[in-house]
Amino acid sequence: MKTFFLSDGDLDEFVTNLIAKSPVFAPVAKKTRFVFNQLESVEDLRLDYDTTILPPKKLFVPTKQDLVTFEHGKYEECLAPGKKILFGVHPYDIKAISMMDWIHEESNFDIYYHSNRKATTIIGSNVQNHYKKAFFGSVCKELKVMGHDMFLTKIADGYLVEVLTKKGDDLLPDGNFTDVSKEQIKNAADVNTKADENCPSKLKNTSLEIKHKIRMYYDSDVWKKKSENCFSCGSCNIVCPTCYCFDIQDEWALEPTSGKRYRRWDACLTCEFSEVSVQGGSENFREERAERFRHRIMRKTSFLNDKLGGPACVGCGRCSGTCTADIADPVSIINEIMEK
Amino acid sequence: MSCSSNHDKNIFLPKNAIIRKASQMTAFETHFTLKMEDESEFIYEPGQIVEAGLFGYGEIPLGLSSSPTQQGSFELVVREVGKVSKALCALKAGDTMTIRGPLGKGFPVSEFVGQDVLIVAGGIGLCPTRSMIRYIMDRRDEFKDFKLLFGARSPDELLFEDDLAYWRCSSDVNYLETVDKPNDRWKGNIGVITTLFEGIDHLDPATRVIICGPPIMYKFVIAQLAKYNISEHHIFVDLERRMKCGVGKCGHCQINDKYVCMDGPVFRYSDIKDLEEAI
Repeated sequence: MKTFFLSDGDLDEFVTNLIAKSPVFAPVAKKTRFVFNQLESVEDLRLDYDTTILPPKKLFVPTKQDLVTFEHGKYEECLAPGKKILFGVHPYDIKAISMMDWIHEESNFDIYYHSNRKATTIIGSNVQNHYKKAFFGSVCKELKVMGHDMFLTKIADGYLVEVLTKKGDDLLPDGNFTDVSKEQIKNAADVNTKADENCPSKLKNTSLEIKHKIRMYYDSDVWKKKSENCFSCGSCNIVCPTCYCFDIQDEWALEPTSGKRYRRWDACLTCEFSEVSVQGGSENFREERAERFRHRIMRKTSFLNDKLGGPACVGCGRCSGTCTADIADPVSIINEIMEK
Repeated sequence: MSCSSNHDKNIFLPKNAIIRKASQMTAFETHFTLKMEDESEFIYEPGQIVEAGLFGYGEIPLGLSSSPTQQGSFELVVREVGKVSKALCALKAGDTMTIRGPLGKGFPVSEFVGQDVLIVAGGIGLCPTRSMIRYIMDRRDEFKDFKLLFGARSPDELLFEDDLAYWRCSSDVNYLETVDKPNDRWKGNIGVITTLFEGIDHLDPATRVIICGPPIMYKFVIAQLAKYNISEHHIFVDLERRMKCGVGKCGHCQINDKYVCMDGPVFRYSDIKDLEEAI
């Protein structure tokens, strides 16, 4: 790893050079919230964002992604990854991306995800302001922040810049990166430690303790109680950086000889997610709201832990903040069960 | 984290298969015999699934209903229940459907060799289990006693009539059948599938058992098997779920940490009996 300093004044030039080079997706303001959007000008960049409405997974698996086009019985895959730079990703979202990398690689390689992922250079940045529901400092500590190419930490007068990969190296000519002092390195480490410590919300137990105890409460009435007000809307799934379930559909073009097969984000909280058609009706393998609610929490705290090396939750707090019924907060559910 | 998956292959891209024969078996089921368009042999294991599809409509998961002992073609049965299955059932001999697979884990055949075998199939559950039934019948010397229990809702819903006629008189299989609702012509057993166990005095506790049928059936059949002291380790269940992608990604078929499309659809009962949503 190489380490440099980039002054506040030199950030604009660096970002402007990146924009000239390839599309840059970065946090920008949208009314009172923030979103990852293509950056038109460095003036729109908001590295002081708390969190974005949707996580950056949308760049690797778009909400609707074409898989195959077909015409007159012939078909071909839709793969056209464009080079891009994803700028200003918070550490918890970087962790989520590294989980997604693995999920889309293990057992069956997902070429659609990975062609987009491979074409993307990721530049992380530290959390300067906390989202009101964030708890990333107390969850998923087993997983390192990794898989990104460069990381910027805001320190006095500028940024400490860590260059982690060849892709990161390739961006060095685009900015006025200067030598860094030992004190600046220490200051940056402190900034990131404090960001973890200052999360407004906290889990009280380790991932392993949570994994085992939540699993023991599978048959508890807590799920029914907690999910009573659930609208089964799936918003908690949609905003989650580690949710990746999808549906596949076919669509005809205007003339009935061609069309496309695409996938789109799906949500396990919705009623029809586990439904199969059977003769004379349907069979739903997760019919009750409580079952679907439990499935999400179990999936985040225990089902995928062995596969990922830690829980499939990075503590961004998006689910909690987006839930209309205000029942999705993992911290409230987990801490309640752990205190039993 | 290490990976052994093939990075060049597109897991969502199907291949064309030509329909050699399409015959309507009942009011709802059509039986297809297929061959890959590129003339390649379709290699699979009994119990594995495919995603069968038609562009413009979609794909559905189907258990292979033929045995790999049958070379040159493979068979699928489509029950008309939704948009995709309806489009597939309208296909005729000479038409093309798409195939992705084989997918998932089938029956561990080597564990059945040299053992007594009992297959319990309810309704359309006969289709995927037929892959194993025909495998055993084709290699009959490799297996010991073979019992097959089949239950349908009514005589009009009996599948594979030619096979049934053969099994009824074959000495290679002890075949028992029943229907829930008889018609005037039905002279056989009447009742749910578990009533067939009344005719079985003894089963070797080492018998390898396969169960496939409607979701409600499993726990009642497993309760019957307990009476014969059959080990849960030797019971294999073939499960149905919404296997949308078939490659362990889309999440629809997930039971706790298992993906039915990839870890199954055949599971050893002892491996999943504690997964609350499985049976």
